[in-house]
Amino acid sequence: MWLVFRKEIKELLRDRKTLFFMIALPLLLFPLIFGGVAYFSGKAIEKAQTKTLKYAVIGAEYAPMLSAKILETNDLSRINTDLKQDNETGIKNLVTSEAVDFVLVIPATYSNDILNTGQNTLNLYLNDAGLNMVQRRLNKVIDDLAEVNRDQAFRTLGVNDTIQKGLLDPIVVKKISTADKREDLGEKIGGLIPYMIFILCLQGAMLPAVDIGAGEKERGTLETLLISPIPRNQLVLGKFFTIAFAGVTSAMVTVGSLFVWGVVLSQGMAIELITEFMGAISAVDFILMFAMLVPIVAIFAAVLLSMSIYAKSFKEAQGYMTPLVFIVIIPIILAMLPGIKLEGVYAWVPLMNVALAIKELIKGTMDYMALIPIFLSTTAIAGVLITFCIYWFNREKVLFR
Amino acid sequence: MIEIKQLAKKFKVENPKKLSEQEKKDPRLKGRFFHSVQDVNFSCNTGQVLGLLGPNGAGKTTTLRMLSSALKPDSGEILIDGQDVVKNSILARQKIGFLSGSTGLYGRLTGRENIEYFGTLHGMSPQAIKDKIEELAQLLDLSTFLDRRSENYSTGMKQKVSIARAVVHSPKVVVLDEPTTGLDIMATQTVIDFIQTLKNQQTPVIFSTHHLDEVKELCDTVTVIDEGTTKYNGDLSSFTALANGSLHHSFLTTIGKG
Repeated sequence: MWLVFRKEIKELLRDRKTLFFMIALPLLLFPLIFGGVAYFSGKAIEKAQTKTLKYAVIGAEYAPMLSAKILETNDLSRINTDLKQDNETGIKNLVTSEAVDFVLVIPATYSNDILNTGQNTLNLYLNDAGLNMVQRRLNKVIDDLAEVNRDQAFRTLGVNDTIQKGLLDPIVVKKISTADKREDLGEKIGGLIPYMIFILCLQGAMLPAVDIGAGEKERGTLETLLISPIPRNQLVLGKFFTIAFAGVTSAMVTVGSLFVWGVVLSQGMAIELITEFMGAISAVDFILMFAMLVPIVAIFAAVLLSMSIYAKSFKEAQGYMTPLVFIVIIPIILAMLPGIKLEGVYAWVPLMNVALAIKELIKGTMDYMALIPIFLSTTAIAGVLITFCIYWFNREKVLFR
Repeated sequence: MIEIKQLAKKFKVENPKKLSEQEKKDPRLKGRFFHSVQDVNFSCNTGQVLGLLGPNGAGKTTTLRMLSSALKPDSGEILIDGQDVVKNSILARQKIGFLSGSTGLYGRLTGRENIEYFGTLHGMSPQAIKDKIEELAQLLDLSTFLDRRSENYSTGMKQKVSIARAVVHSPKVVVLDEPTTGLDIMATQTVIDFIQTLKNQQTPVIFSTHHLDEVKELCDTVTVIDEGTTKYNGDLSSFTALANGSLHHSFLTTIGKG
C-alpha cells in the first residue's frame, strides 16, 4: 500500500501543474488578492473623500448662514444656477449631466429659529448609486449648524443639560455582553473557517484524484497496474491516502499562507486582535478541529477516487467533480448562517455537523461530549465510502468501460 | 506450458440503445447479455509462439484480458504448467507477463522508475530488480534513455520500456495484445526481436495481431477466433496449407468467408 502511496506522491511532486495549483497559487495568490483589494478599495475611498465636489445651492438666500458655511468648505466648489425650486426635472438633469455632483435645495420656509418653524427639510439631489461621500461631507457642515440651532432653542426654553440629554435620548440601553472576545469573533468568522478548509481540501484533492484514477485509464497504465500481484484493496488505499494527503496539504498550505500574509498585511490593531484570538483557542481545540477534519477528508478522497476511476478520461472525471463542489458547499453555507446551532437535526447532517462543531470549537463553546457522535457518524460514513471505493475498484464494468 | 479450455465471458448490456448496428446483429447478443467469448480453447507449449488471429470484435482482447487476470472468466479453465490460475488470480499475475498495444507509462517517472515500481509490486528485492533491469537494458538497448522521464520518449522507446516492465518478474508465459499496432517499423522490429528472444529462452508467447507477416515470421501455432469461438487451432504449416500458401486466404477460410 505504501509502495503505491510513495510512487503516487513522487509522481505528484514531479507534476509542475499540480504543484502550482496546490502550493504556489495559494502562497502567491492570497497576498495578491488581499493586497490588491485593499490597495484599490483604499484608493477609491480616499478619492471619494478628498475629491473636490461641484455643487449648486437653490434658495441660498433663505439660509445665508448655512450657505456661507458650505461656501467656506475647501473641497466643495459652488456652481451658480438660475434653476428654481419647482423645476425638479431641471435640477435632476443638472446632476445627471454631471455638471454638478449634487444640488442642495433650501425651502423658503427655512429658519434657524426652530422654535418657530419646527423641523427644516432640505432636499439633496445626487446620484446615490456608486461610491460617494456627498452626504457625509455635507453633514459635517450642516450638523454643526443644526447643533447650534438646537442648543439655542434649548437655551430659549430654559432646559438644562440633564433634561436636554433626556429629551434627545429618553431611554438608553447599555449593552454588557457576557460573550468574551473569542466567542464574539468566533460567531462572526467561525463559520468561514470550516467553509474555507472544506472547499480547499476538496479542491486540493481534486487534481491528484483525477490524475491517479481517470488519468491512469487515459494513459493506459491502469490495466498493467491491475494485473500486478498487489491486492486490490491495498491499491485503492494507496491511492486513497495520496488524495487525502494532497487535500490536507493543500488546505494547510493555503490556510497557513492566509494566516501569515494576513498578519503581514494587516498592521497594528489587527495583529493584536488575531494573536489574541488565536491565543484564546487552546491546543486541545486545535487538535480536535484537526481530528474532525480527518473523516471529512476521507469522505472527500473516497468519493473523488470513485468518481475518477469510473470516468474514462480527465475531462469526464472533472465533469463529475464540479457538481460535487456545489453539493459540498450547501451544508457548509447553511452552517455559516447566523442562528444555526449544533443541535437537533443539524447535528445529524453530514459535513454540516462538522462545520458547526468546528465553529463551536473556535468560539470555545463546544460541548465536548457532542463531538463523539459527530466524529463517529462521520467516520462511519467515511468507512462506508472507502469500502464502496474498494468494491468499485473490483468491478470490471467500472475499470473497463 | 499454458492451456485454455472452454473459456467464456459475457457482459451485461446496460443500455441496448447504445449498441452499434454491428453489435445488434451479432448472434452473441442474447437478451440483456453480450456473450463476448463463448468457447475459446488453445494451448501453447514451452518455446512456442502462438498467434491469435480474428476480426475486430472477435473476442481476442477479452480472451487475453482473462489470461492476464484483469477480467474474471464466467467459466472455463486456464492452466499454467497444470495449475488452474482462474481461482488464484495472484498466481496468474506472478506467472504471466502481459503487454497490450495501448499500454502507457507513468510520464513523470523515468523509464527505470517505471520498471522498478512494477518489480517492487511483484515483491522483488531492490537488488534483484537492479540486476534484472541491467539485463533487460542490454537486451533491449535501453541504457541511453533509461534515466530520463518517460513523457519525452519516442513511441519505440516507450514500447521497449513497456516490454521490460512486462517481463521484469521473469514470467512463465508472456501474453501480448496487439503489441505492434500503431508502432512504426523500427518499434515493430523491437517487439518482433523481443518475441524471438523469448522463444529462444523457451518462454511460451501468446500474441494477438492483424499482421499476417508477423505470424509467418514468428509463430509455431495459430489460433483463429471469430464471434467468441475458436474456429481454428493448428500449426503454421497446416494453416498455410489451407489455401494455396496465402495466409490471408487461409484466415478467411477459417472464418468461413474464403
